[in-house]
Amino acid sequence: MKKIINLTINDQSHEIAVEPNITLADLIRYQLGLTGTKKGCDTGDCGACTVVLDGEVVNSCLVLAVQANGSVIETIEGLATDEGLHPLQEAFVEKGAIQCGFCSPGVILSAKNLLDKNPSPSEQEIREGISGNLCRCTGYKKIFDAIESQSS
Amino acid sequence: MLLPMFDFHEPFSIQEALELKKTHKENSKFLAGGTDLLVHLKKKLISTDNIISLSKVKDLARITKEENSVIIGACATMSQLSSSPIIQENFKALKAGCDNLGNHLIRNRATIGGNACNASPAGETLPALLVYDALAILENTEGKKEIPIKDFFTGPGKSCIHTEEILTGFRLPIPPANSGAHYIQLGKRKSSEINVVNVAAFLEYDPSTLKITKTRIALGSVAPTPVRAPKAEASLLGQTPEEEAFFAAGEIARRDDCLPIDDFRGTAGYRQAMVGVLTKRTLATAFEQAQGLL
Repeated sequence: MKKIINLTINDQSHEIAVEPNITLADLIRYQLGLTGTKKGCDTGDCGACTVVLDGEVVNSCLVLAVQANGSVIETIEGLATDEGLHPLQEAFVEKGAIQCGFCSPGVILSAKNLLDKNPSPSEQEIREGISGNLCRCTGYKKIFDAIESQSS
Repeated sequence: MLLPMFDFHEPFSIQEALELKKTHKENSKFLAGGTDLLVHLKKKLISTDNIISLSKVKDLARITKEENSVIIGACATMSQLSSSPIIQENFKALKAGCDNLGNHLIRNRATIGGNACNASPAGETLPALLVYDALAILENTEGKKEIPIKDFFTGPGKSCIHTEEILTGFRLPIPPANSGAHYIQLGKRKSSEINVVNVAAFLEYDPSTLKITKTRIALGSVAPTPVRAPKAEASLLGQTPEEEAFFAAGEIARRDDCLPIDDFRGTAGYRQAMVGVLTKRTLATAFEQAQGLL
């Protein structure tokens, strides 16, 4: 039986009817059309579906949409403004930290969450901060450089 | 991967959760962090018609200090435990386990109760719970009871929880002065892995005689459940806490206290050898902590 849930995604509130067996990742992608959130493994291993849920980064494939009722969520679409890309996104472009781009939304959200909480992370903290996001183009070096360039 | 269809229940109290469990019995599962449960459901390893979510039961997510012990709610997440001053101050081996589970995304969801109920022999928080002599707090509609954590695990993926019971948390006695505990895990890489071997050790000594007065050692990934190492523990009592005794205890743990298997993560022989090394190292660090050096 569908349940009605209320959530705020990228500062927009939504009231949506969802089946209980739909994950937050599927809700975001298929019901809301925000396809910046990727689905890789669907089992919490790759981090492609990373979103910020009430201030914490999570694998949205391992959260039921009904569990997110009442939550505030940020996806990659929430970063850019009318003025352009978020500085962290700019840094990824600048440093060439993107190859195929599939991991990028997840990596950028993990990195942004890290920098929001800890504006000047150590090398180890940056590495740990993106340890749940797999990049199969082996672009970690440039990703690391891009994040480091944004630390204060 | 689609999740099978189920009914979703969201109780607000432990009592309400237990009533739901009593109604649906075996045909229901408690959902805590979901980092294992949802994966198992997606892979069709388990099935159920009723999911009882515990995320709205606020009492289950608390960490509270009592006179001589700390109660950790079953739904406390790894991130929550890692950043809790009570845990950082009193239970460093548990913090080390929480810091090393999965990766930062998983740690924001995964709970200590889920880690215990999943009962993996390789569970990251389980050796620490064993060496801190935790009590598992189980509740049903009739009342609650506390059982020693060493009696909690009954096999891979199995625990002694009855169908109509819920694990509400753990009681951890606050360790005495002159004691320390440490946890080390060994995997193929540092993040998002399943342990090849994981070991925790607790050590208490008498500074006036410089002898070990109490010790507990727990081994993970080397038996059907996380286990204590009774022979190695016995070998340390009354000994002077130093490299030689720690090495000897490691040798005994490796030889007599574990029964690992070969699998694709590592051979039984390698696991045994590493039990020796990690037992020695965790004891050495536990002793440094006991002296107030860490």
